[in-house]
Amino acid sequence: MSRYEIDKFISFVEGLDQAVLDYVADPEGFVAAWEARAAASRLPRADGGTLTAEERAALVNRDHAELYRLGAHQYVLWHFVEAIRVWTGEVTWPEMKERFRADIAPHGTVDIST
Amino acid sequence: MAELVSILGVPHNPLLWRTMRTDPVPDDLARTRENFDRFREELAASDVDVLVVVGSDHLRQFQWGNSPAFCIGKAERFACTFENEIRTFGLEPWEMIGDPELAGWLLGDTELQPDIDFAMSNEWVLDHSFTLPAKFLTPDLGVPIVPIHTNANIPPIPRAERYATLGQYLRSRIEAAPFDRKVALVASGHLATEIGGARQFLGGGSPDQEFDDLATEWMRTGDLDGAIAGCTFERLAAAGNVTGQFLNFITALAAAGGPATFAEGTPSRFANGPFFRWDP
Repeated sequence: MSRYEIDKFISFVEGLDQAVLDYVADPEGFVAAWEARAAASRLPRADGGTLTAEERAALVNRDHAELYRLGAHQYVLWHFVEAIRVWTGEVTWPEMKERFRADIAPHGTVDIST
Repeated sequence: MAELVSILGVPHNPLLWRTMRTDPVPDDLARTRENFDRFREELAASDVDVLVVVGSDHLRQFQWGNSPAFCIGKAERFACTFENEIRTFGLEPWEMIGDPELAGWLLGDTELQPDIDFAMSNEWVLDHSFTLPAKFLTPDLGVPIVPIHTNANIPPIPRAERYATLGQYLRSRIEAAPFDRKVALVASGHLATEIGGARQFLGGGSPDQEFDDLATEWMRTGDLDGAIAGCTFERLAAAGNVTGQFLNFITALAAAGGPATFAEGTPSRFANGPFFRWDP
């Protein structure tokens, strides 16, 4: 369930330009709002809507290596990183692809099943 | 009566959209352009009425909350392209015409047929797995589409033999249709490819040339049993984390029932691009 929540979060952010901008502007606030929406739901939510402490920290810190280690879907994770780091102008695409490869390499093969 | 007039296998790498439409085409993509052009001309000559495209949505339309193994799009019209594909790949918000009559027939109309338990969708935004082949093969998008999604991206994925059953079913069902249609079956996928893993964008070439050589040979020789045996989840994953989309070519091979008349893993800066054609 929890790995699913990471996938759902990064897919949502990567899917919409405005969500990318809002998340990058205030990762902690964005993650808190994500969880608050779930907590405020009047009806039970199928996904639970909550993150573990280490998942929350990885998202707040925009820590792609940790998200990879936790089992985020790798195809979506890369595009999430492209959106929040490259599209926003923080780093160039060639720099990011090298950095991403180097950062995730120590974690080897990771199970991404949900 | 409906007729299968073309069976093709092509890549859908969305990075080709920006990189391959320059004039002149970069040297390393010239052969990819040439192969798409060849297939486009052949398709136009066959006067095709509809494209049945077997592709794999990239976690946009079908996500972890609802992930069908196989799904047929029955809509009259399909929106194309998501906001992130415009941002990341430079794709454009196209629209494609559907073919509800053929889609309904493939589904079984009121009763699913015995071979495949399809899901059905009346509202589907097509991603690059469907739009890229359609744009490169029919640039004005004037040929209607019946999209068939296969889940090659979210474990658990269907086993290789299910993709073969899908191909055999599509051929028999198309040929049994009680209405006229010239159908092109287009499989959309990858050879060995990695996105979001440690072997992505290594600077050209395949992450697993041995797999690509084997895979191309299965198509060239029509070795369906070999392809099924060789495409376990573990072997596909070892060839690259999105190589599962090669399974769509097993559907095409099974529909064709024999050797491809053209089979090539075309080198490029990204990976080897799959180009397969069978004479149905």
